Amino acid sequence: MSDNNLNNLPGGFKGMAQDMGSDQTAFKGVQWGKFMMWIFLLSDTFVFSCFLISYMKGRSSTVVDWPNTSEVFSLHVGGVPVPLLLIAIMTFVLITSSGTMALAVKYGYEKNKKMCAWLVLATAIGGLTFVGMQVFEWSKLIHEGVRPWENPFGAKQFGSFFFMITGFHGVHVSIGVIFLFIFARKTFRGDFDTGKRGFFTSQKSDYVAIEILGLYWHFVDLVWVFIFAFFYLW
Amino acid sequence: MSDEYNQNNTPLETQSSETMSGSSGSTTDIDYVRPAELPEQDLYHSHSWITKWVFCQDAKVIGVQYFLTAVFTGIVGLVLSWLMRLQLGFPELVPFITAEHYYQFVTMHGMIMVVYFLTALFLGGFGNYLIPLMVGARDMVFPYVNMVSFWMFFVAVCVLMASFFVPGGPTGAGWTLYPPQAILPGSPGAGMGIILMLTSLSLFVIGFTMGGLNYLVTILQARTRGMTLMRMPLTIWGIFTATALAMLAFPALLVSCIMMTLDKVLETSFFMPAIIQAGEVLDYGGGSPVLFQHLFWFFGHPEVYIVALPAFGIVSDLISVHARKNIFGYRMMVWAIVGIGGLSFFVWAHHMYVSGMNPWFGFFFATTTLIIAVPTALKVYNWIVTLFRANIRMNTVMLFCLGFIVTFVNGGITGIFLGNVAVDIPLSDTYFVIAHFHMVMGIAPLMVIMGAVYHWFPLVAGRMLSEKLGKWHFWITFLGAYSIYFPMHYLGFIGVPRRYFEMYDSPYMASAIGMNEFITVAALIVGAAQFIFIYNIITSLRVGKPAGKNPWKANSLEWLTSEVPPVHGNFGEKLPVVHRWPYDFNVPGSKEDFITQTTPPSEVIDAEVEKT
Amino acid sequence: MDEIQNKEQGTTTHKIGIYLWIWGLLFVLSFFSYMVDWYAFQGLLRWSLILFFMFLKAGLIMAFFMHLFWERYALVNVLLWPMTAIACFIALMAAEAQYTVFTRAFYFFVGG
Repeated sequence: MSDNNLNNLPGGFKGMAQDMGSDQTAFKGVQWGKFMMWIFLLSDTFVFSCFLISYMKGRSSTVVDWPNTSEVFSLHVGGVPVPLLLIAIMTFVLITSSGTMALAVKYGYEKNKKMCAWLVLATAIGGLTFVGMQVFEWSKLIHEGVRPWENPFGAKQFGSFFFMITGFHGVHVSIGVIFLFIFARKTFRGDFDTGKRGFFTSQKSDYVAIEILGLYWHFVDLVWVFIFAFFYLW
Repeated sequence: MSDEYNQNNTPLETQSSETMSGSSGSTTDIDYVRPAELPEQDLYHSHSWITKWVFCQDAKVIGVQYFLTAVFTGIVGLVLSWLMRLQLGFPELVPFITAEHYYQFVTMHGMIMVVYFLTALFLGGFGNYLIPLMVGARDMVFPYVNMVSFWMFFVAVCVLMASFFVPGGPTGAGWTLYPPQAILPGSPGAGMGIILMLTSLSLFVIGFTMGGLNYLVTILQARTRGMTLMRMPLTIWGIFTATALAMLAFPALLVSCIMMTLDKVLETSFFMPAIIQAGEVLDYGGGSPVLFQHLFWFFGHPEVYIVALPAFGIVSDLISVHARKNIFGYRMMVWAIVGIGGLSFFVWAHHMYVSGMNPWFGFFFATTTLIIAVPTALKVYNWIVTLFRANIRMNTVMLFCLGFIVTFVNGGITGIFLGNVAVDIPLSDTYFVIAHFHMVMGIAPLMVIMGAVYHWFPLVAGRMLSEKLGKWHFWITFLGAYSIYFPMHYLGFIGVPRRYFEMYDSPYMASAIGMNEFITVAALIVGAAQFIFIYNIITSLRVGKPAGKNPWKANSLEWLTSEVPPVHGNFGEKLPVVHRWPYDFNVPGSKEDFITQTTPPSEVIDAEVEKT
Repeated sequence: MDEIQNKEQGTTTHKIGIYLWIWGLLFVLSFFSYMVDWYAFQGLLRWSLILFFMFLKAGLIMAFFMHLFWERYALVNVLLWPMTAIACFIALMAAEAQYTVFTRAFYFFVGG
């Protein structure tokens, strides 16, 4: 009964009932910060869901034709229009950064400071690249006359939803990138090994923070998967 | 991730502090409680005046800060209601109240009362103070984020109040802020007013997301030894479910605020259809006003349960303590709270029956609305059965609980009228609706708040409030509030519309004039009576009877702190160990009429306690 | 799944191979999604393929990169059941959009 080993707890539905019925914690083995991040991501999922639902409603009820996304978002390479090329590259970059982040979490828990730090830095650079490409895409479209209030390709709401949704996602990525650079520095400095107290919260640093940041970063990638499917491909 | 709960490899307690025989893990030890899974919380200690009283990270101080700020906004809302009632009862009396101003009062009164007063008070005020105490934690799990969440709320309130002073004044679009009117010149405050309102709401949402994370993680992951979910007081269940709703409903509000801000500032057309304004064709087009309504009410309906559920939870505890009886059907009360919370996401468009939405939706939403009435009614039955043959102490707290039950039943029944599509059509946008939501969201939760203050003031301040003043306060408030809102049902039946500046010269509305005068006088009297309450609080802080420990002889952990009022760290050296639920009142065979949660079974061996 | 028990740290991590496999799978699925557009599938086939690949990618990210596959059932349930409210909202807004476009076609073009 005093065994704190997760492996000895029953799994499945019975395990869930037992976890929920027990004292102290309902989610065994889940640190406070990690659980907090999951709840925050659940809330943020609702935010992006509401944005995408509004987009769906707006696009489905338009009597003016919606622009052809393959054409609007194509890049001209050597005179040949390649549909969605920039988006494909952005997806590649973001998924790669997700991969490096997952590995960083693994090495963090294995207390491999160097690998963890370099992978967090790689993730940060990937994120920064993504933001750069998004900025490039915005400038290209603005140059072609797409505005939040109107655009030359079709229904007014296209520009509105595009800038709002990608803007919100971009802000989330940017915040993630800032935290990634900060955490890369902390990891290189060895703060997670020594348990140095944070500047704002005065709490001890621990490698679980990398996992928490990783959850946020994977969420940002998840949202991109949905935006990619619903906005660019659909 | 790890397979040991303890992430930091520090030694854990391995023995229950109440072990009689000194052996741990023995199955014959009736006082056995599982050892701690986690090490003690790394508590932050303030070292300067600013970090102790201003940017304080202690949840109790933050709770009081929320309470005071929320009460301040509530007083502003109350004054606005007096101005509205003056206009309705005695139309030409105050020339300052023009039609424009009236709509601004209506809007700000509504938004302040629902969001900045009630939500902030229940979740931020009561939540912050009571959650760590009642679950046996030393503080919230993220004290820094908790502190930031209060100051976000404070900034949100400042931005909201600033809208009174900008050119054009605050928005007059109704608390529901429906587009396209809300951002067009026909509405008061369509300039800076609406922008500040939307900004304030967005800040509020961000702040309460931070706070909500604290409340949820503390309740789910930081309870003390022996505190299972089904041993938590119903107060915590109510606040917990309300917080979960807040985390999932506020996103819809945030999204609708952002989109409306963009419609105003960047002239996008999310909600704006093609419009001709005073002969001029505007640049908008293609947007959908009903989309805003769906987003708003997807937030708005859970929001009213965010206000109601903590009230349900708190009143259960107040009734139980002051009737010296366990709450009847605790388990079903918990499931009813959770069920109401879950169902609240599927009923939103009962606010939209006359909006011109898809006509088939009425079937779906009327059905779900009637379903959600079932767990709500179940709770009312259980409160009444709890009181049946109980040892009721007819003090101020109990009076407010009884007042809650009466007004909530009244408001709940009128909700059934409004939940049916056909019956709603003539009643929609009339005073019947105003009567309904004031009874069920205004008066009833307010009764609970007042009762809760009389109940927990002895803990927070260490002194009792005056019973005599309390009873005066109760009777004037209760009878007065009934006098205000009961006649409004009749006004609604004869068709008097809501959000109207004046009654005009219509023949059937002439009969409403006398009624309106009566309601206004009642409202002003009830408003004045609140000064009794404020006077009571302020004087009792100095000359109130010292409360001592656990003056009400309650069972829950907040009354079992090392000092009264509780200090930083809450419980002194050792955290409490819980052996039972908080409702062991008048247990047959027990010496006292109450058994606290920390009393081990070995001390009450003769009592026929329930296995909880 | 193969787990590496880090006894000293008290944590459990997984072999690098798993992450590389999932990484590769995500690229393959993204490539297939892209092909849906390249080959210009239309109508029901397009939508169902887009949704299929999207949910598959989302599921892989959540299960393996976010570790949900190895977390206890309680956490997974608490995260996934609220999605039913979103699903209800989606279904109803789709119906609302249909109604809106019907009223617009009727009143703007047919004449109210």
